[in-house]
Amino acid sequence: MTNPVNASTPADESLLLIHAYLDGELDPANAIALERRIESDPVLAAERMRIETLRRALRERVAVKPLPPGLRGRIEKAIGLSRAQPKPGPSWRALAASVALAVIASSGATFLALHDATGDRVAVEIVDDHLRALMAPAPIDVRSSDRHTVKPWFNGRTPQAPRVVDLAQDGFPLVGGRIDVIAGAPVPTLVYQHREHIISLSAVLDTIKATPPESRRTMRGYNLVRWVDNGIAYWAISDLGSTDLDAFVRLFRAAPPE
Amino acid sequence: MSGDDDRKRFAELVMPHLGDAYALAHWLTGNQADAEDVVQEACLRAFRGLAGCAGTNARAWTLTIVRHTAYSWLGKNRRSALVAVDDLEAVERAQALSPDAAVASRPTPETELIAKADAARLEAAIAMLPLQFRETLVLRDLQGLQYREIAEVTAVPVGTVMSRLARARARLIDLIRVDES
Repeated sequence: MTNPVNASTPADESLLLIHAYLDGELDPANAIALERRIESDPVLAAERMRIETLRRALRERVAVKPLPPGLRGRIEKAIGLSRAQPKPGPSWRALAASVALAVIASSGATFLALHDATGDRVAVEIVDDHLRALMAPAPIDVRSSDRHTVKPWFNGRTPQAPRVVDLAQDGFPLVGGRIDVIAGAPVPTLVYQHREHIISLSAVLDTIKATPPESRRTMRGYNLVRWVDNGIAYWAISDLGSTDLDAFVRLFRAAPPE
Repeated sequence: MSGDDDRKRFAELVMPHLGDAYALAHWLTGNQADAEDVVQEACLRAFRGLAGCAGTNARAWTLTIVRHTAYSWLGKNRRSALVAVDDLEAVERAQALSPDAAVASRPTPETELIAKADAARLEAAIAMLPLQFRETLVLRDLQGLQYREIAEVTAVPVGTVMSRLARARARLIDLIRVDES
């Protein structure tokens, strides 16, 4: 994207690159080179602190603009999507209605996509389960931000309790967990939140050998990241942008063992 | 492609991003009523233009249309919001990337100010940013798009995204500081 970072990179450019660095847009080599410069330059270190503080304040404090009631319905009507069901109630129901439509609309595609290669079928089920959870009155079976509550809840419900880490400090609070059914077997799914977005993280026993360590895909507008750790295939799905979902995956993978 | 297929694709590709679409429209127009009009119009445009969506990044595609629609709306209703920016960018280009060391190395009080700024102050400061800085900041810091996605949505090179974002954030910090003192 830009010139390599090295000792002769002008300070101005380093200041600019701090943004890219904090946004996860620098490649590893340049990120390391920039970190070195920041360590040895108090001006850069102060700038990094300022920007990081601002990013955090924006991320944590600026509320999402809620969708005005009725807007979704008017759009569905204009496009010819809805069958004019009245839906007062909270926006949650409005969201559920549109998700329901997406599910109904895409179920044909779902069955077509049921061929069993490199986890495609699992991916379809992951998307379905995520959508179904969003449609349910609550997207989670156990609602808690305490991993010491969530983890034991899975005992006896799924063959294996999942790894649960606390990422609230990083802007991804745990909100709970639920059981999904993937390929006919119960699977623990953790639910995290980032801003107004829900992330479902399912831990599936990995039966497909020789799969790539980490893969990404987009299905029906949702981003999915899959990776394998210790024989468990993790699937993260969200309507978050891929940068944020990648950041979540990085944090989850880097978190210390429980 | 039949109308039913179109509707199905619309439900799959565009509807999941309605929240982001509305939020962007709100930040660009500055109020709910206009944002609703923009989003409705954008959805109709998106529906008519579905053939142009590859489906690989439906969110960026949707937001691109929302932004276009918002700009048309601003052009009709708030010409002043659109024009001022180019002049401003030229001025800023001259000074932007030479922040004096005195400013940059004044860390703690300022960092504390930012850390303490409440939601209302942050939102007011964002609303005061010139349009093109504001949209870049909103797309990155509130909606989490990658630089290349922002480049796609705002139709500028990635380098411009980087410099706009840097300036947007610097200005935001200034606004929060001025507001406080």
